[in-house]
Amino acid sequence: MVSLDQRASQSLRPYLQAVRSSLTAALCLSNFASQTAERHNVPEVEARTSPEVLLTPLTIARNENERVLIEPSINSIRISIKIKQADEIEHILVHKFTRFLTQRAESFFILRRKPIKGYDISFLITNFHTEEMLKHKLVDFIIQFMEEVDKEISEMKLFLNARARFVAESFLIPFD
Amino acid sequence: MLLLDYQNVLIQSVLSERFSGAAPVSIDQTVSDFDGVIFHISTPESKTKIMISIQIRCFQDLLRHGAEEVLNREYGPYVVPPEPGYDFSIVVDVEDLPAEKEARDELVNKIALLKRNVMAAPFEQAYQEHYHLKAEASKFTSEEAPQGVREGGEVKAIHYREEEAIYVKASHDRVTVIFSTIFREETDRVFGKVFIQEFVDARRRAIQNAPQVLFRNDPPLELQGVPGVKNTGTGEIGYVTFVLFPRHLTPQRMPDVISHIQTFRDYFHYHIKASKAYIHSRMRRRTADFLQVLRRARPDQEEKERKTASGRTFKVGS
Repeated sequence: MVSLDQRASQSLRPYLQAVRSSLTAALCLSNFASQTAERHNVPEVEARTSPEVLLTPLTIARNENERVLIEPSINSIRISIKIKQADEIEHILVHKFTRFLTQRAESFFILRRKPIKGYDISFLITNFHTEEMLKHKLVDFIIQFMEEVDKEISEMKLFLNARARFVAESFLIPFD
Repeated sequence: MLLLDYQNVLIQSVLSERFSGAAPVSIDQTVSDFDGVIFHISTPESKTKIMISIQIRCFQDLLRHGAEEVLNREYGPYVVPPEPGYDFSIVVDVEDLPAEKEARDELVNKIALLKRNVMAAPFEQAYQEHYHLKAEASKFTSEEAPQGVREGGEVKAIHYREEEAIYVKASHDRVTVIFSTIFREETDRVFGKVFIQEFVDARRRAIQNAPQVLFRNDPPLELQGVPGVKNTGTGEIGYVTFVLFPRHLTPQRMPDVISHIQTFRDYFHYHIKASKAYIHSRMRRRTADFLQVLRRARPDQEEKERKTASGRTFKVGS
């Protein structure tokens, strides 16, 4: 069990490290008013009206089920996370959890209300966020989120199985 | 609180209070139970005569399978013609109760078990059929048994909810109880699958003497040709089969087994809902944690308000 844990964390650590470095590099945002609409200031990565201010998107994949897409632009950056879903139960739990979070997007500031296609959850950080929040703490938040979401999902799954087993046995024991 | 009670607790508490010698009062109370069953406790004639009526959607099915007999056996002297709108009624006269406390409590329990007793009729019939078939089958070897004995009795269907039913089938070496259960939501379906899988495995793992539990999404072979059984093919409907073996079918264990198996559907769904509730509260807590982390990203607000020596406040321009 210990060795298995270690192996898991050994493959997790470089993955998170890669995400952390890429994010830190990408979070280099400045105020940039829209070039196409006067007196508008919109996240360019969402508006996609001026191709010259969009940078090359970057995908970091741990395996085919877990990956992060970072789309930088001059004044905003979009981070999308695909959370591991090994089976039907995890799929449901991830779906419920991400929906739970996005419904509270208002208080999460950087959370995008809708994940982009192919991913489970997306964050949108604009220059206004980096101006009023500490950049390295924002990166910490994303990394911690990625770490804990996996843990939470697998704990919920374990709980569900344990409860199901207990419930089934309690029901069947009176027949014994 | 893990297992559900067989009796209706509200009826039990109302009647125990009434039977304890308290001054008679008029009652008019509607009590609901699982599966859309409604009870009505009232005192239509005088305060001492308490009428308890039950409304249950599958009453016609139950009558077909000997409910009347069971009810007359259980409530013989108290049975009255059913109250309009209800299926079955009994009247208990508070002034005419048994003298001993134990006997009174027993009466209360018996009335609180009204739903269980109504529903028990088809099961009891299946038990009797099983005894009969067993006696028949013992006359033959397995190869040459006549058609009727080998195949077992007819399938008794109890449509106890709008879209769900219990099917009971007796044969010479077992009684099969099949619950059809419907999952409205994807989450329920997945959770239900996890739970059912544990029911199926429990026998292999821990409780060897438990009834065999089987689960499938299409109707089992026993239900072929039974009216009202349809295969939707969407996985919404599941069929849970309990196979009761001769060790569960002894007359001594009959009342307990029947009571217990009736609670299966409610127990099953209750725990699915409970798990959902727990997971929900867990996600709420975790979300609060995440928010806490995000809040740390905001630099501490510097103290904006300052006081002068005289106590006046002013703000430092930011």
